This record gives sequence, structure tokens and C-alpha cells, in this order.
Amino acid sequence: MTQIAEEISITDPNFDPETWFDQYGDYLYRFALARIRDQAVAEDLVQETFLAALHGRNSFKGRSTVKTWLSAILKHKIVDYLRKKSREQVINDPDRINETVDGFFHKDGSWKVRPGNWNLDPSKIHEQHEFMDTLFKCLSELPDRLSKAFILREMEGYSAKEICNVLQVSSTNSWVMLHRARMFLRRCLEIFWFNKTKEERR
Amino acid sequence: MSHWMFNCKEVSRRVSESIDHDLPLYPRMLIRIHLLICRYCARFRRQIMMLRELCRNRQLDENSIDPSVVLPPDARERIRQTLKSSSI
Repeated sequence: MTQIAEEISITDPNFDPETWFDQYGDYLYRFALARIRDQAVAEDLVQETFLAALHGRNSFKGRSTVKTWLSAILKHKIVDYLRKKSREQVINDPDRINETVDGFFHKDGSWKVRPGNWNLDPSKIHEQHEFMDTLFKCLSELPDRLSKAFILREMEGYSAKEICNVLQVSSTNSWVMLHRARMFLRRCLEIFWFNKTKEERR
Repeated sequence: MSHWMFNCKEVSRRVSESIDHDLPLYPRMLIRIHLLICRYCARFRRQIMMLRELCRNRQLDENSIDPSVVLPPDARERIRQTLKSSSI
């Protein structure tokens, strides 16, 4: 800790994760709950966020507000949680995914496995927890980096550029990763969700 | 298929790319033409957009949670204790 930071932490009661907890604990809890919808997990993520803030408080440079900084930490925790959740039954073989996705097309580039008719009302489906469960099962079949790219982009709304920074890949690479993830997930959901009746999904 | 036209594999790749960044005008035009005549690629586009919508709808804004929702007292106490013991 630099001398200045040390002095601030001693003299300024606001430079203290426990005070931050009093101020933003509930806000962060709602932030986590909105995304995870599981009370116990949301509590744990809030705790991890404040622990990370406690250990990393010297890295807080005051460029953003404390609230924004804490939210960013929590966002990372949420992405990690979602990624782990999607990896419960991991089969991590990038080549297999590439082969699978390439297998959707004939040699001339026309569709071999044509996209079926989904026929659904998206405003109704997102309320169904079973759909998200199926999506997570499908995500679990993807290699780690592909599922992380997808979660960051489609669930957390990161830009493709931000994903390049997080995953340390080129723009072209990030587009390819996202495309492969979408290709695979689209097909996986078609097989395990859209082509099944309500009874078969159970 | 004429050489200036993209095949479905190429179109699906570029359609996917187009929802991550802006494509140049020429490929954009070729894709638009392809989507008019190929219902499977048009379906693919609709479906990846739907997938995005489904994923993002799930992620509701924290403001959508009732502001009266707060950390349960036992969790609050537990976290406070953890922070205290970790800061020593």
C-alpha cells in the first residue's frame, strides 16, 4: 500500500469495504438476484465481491465510483458462476465442436442439417426455467472459451471488442468463436427443446 | 450458384458476424439477396436473434427487482463477520 493510500484508509472511513457493504450490499444483492434468480447463490456472490474488494481495495483508483467498481467485480463473479454452472458435465473438446459445426453443411456449403421451424413466442418462453436449464446443458457441451464468449456477449451484453480483451483473442477470432457457439447452441436447443413436446422435455 | 454469391455456410458465418459488428456494404448486400431467396439462412438469422433475445430477457435490470428486497439478516451478519475476520 502506498503511504497516501494507507493514510486514506486510516483516516477516511469511506475507504473501507465494511462501510461499502452497508452502503451497497443491498444494491449488489438485487443486482445478483436479477441475473441469477437464486437467493443463496446471490448472497454468496455478494460476499465474494466484498472479499475481492477488501483484498483489492488498493487497486481502486477512484476513476469510477465505488458502486461502479463493485458492480464490475460482481459482474465478473456472475460470469464465472454461469460458466461453472454451464460446465457441470463438461466434454471439452474443441475439435469435436468444429467437426460438429462443419458437419451442418455439405461440401458445397449448402445446409445439410437445415434449421427447423421453431414456432414460438419468445416473450413467453423466457419465463420457463426449463428452457434456461436446457440452454445451460447445451452450453456445458461447449469448450470453456466458447461458452464464456457466448455468456459474455449474449447474456451480459459485452461488445465483441470487450470479449477480445477478456479472452485475449483477435477480433476475427472472437467472431469465429461466437459463430461456432451460436451454431452449436442453435442446433442443440432444436434437438433438446424445440423438437420435443412439453412432456418429452421432462 | 454464381461465384459472386455466398453459399449458406458463408452466409451463416457472416450473418452471425453481422450481429457482432458492422459488415462492409458489399457483403451486406450479397447477404440480403441471399436471405431473400434462402429460407433456411433467413431462419438461421431469426433464430440467433431470438437466442439473443431469450438470453438478454433473462438478465433483467437490477431496478426490476423490488427495491424493498434486501439481504436477509442472517446473510448480512454472515458477510459482515467474514469481512471482519478477513480484514484482520
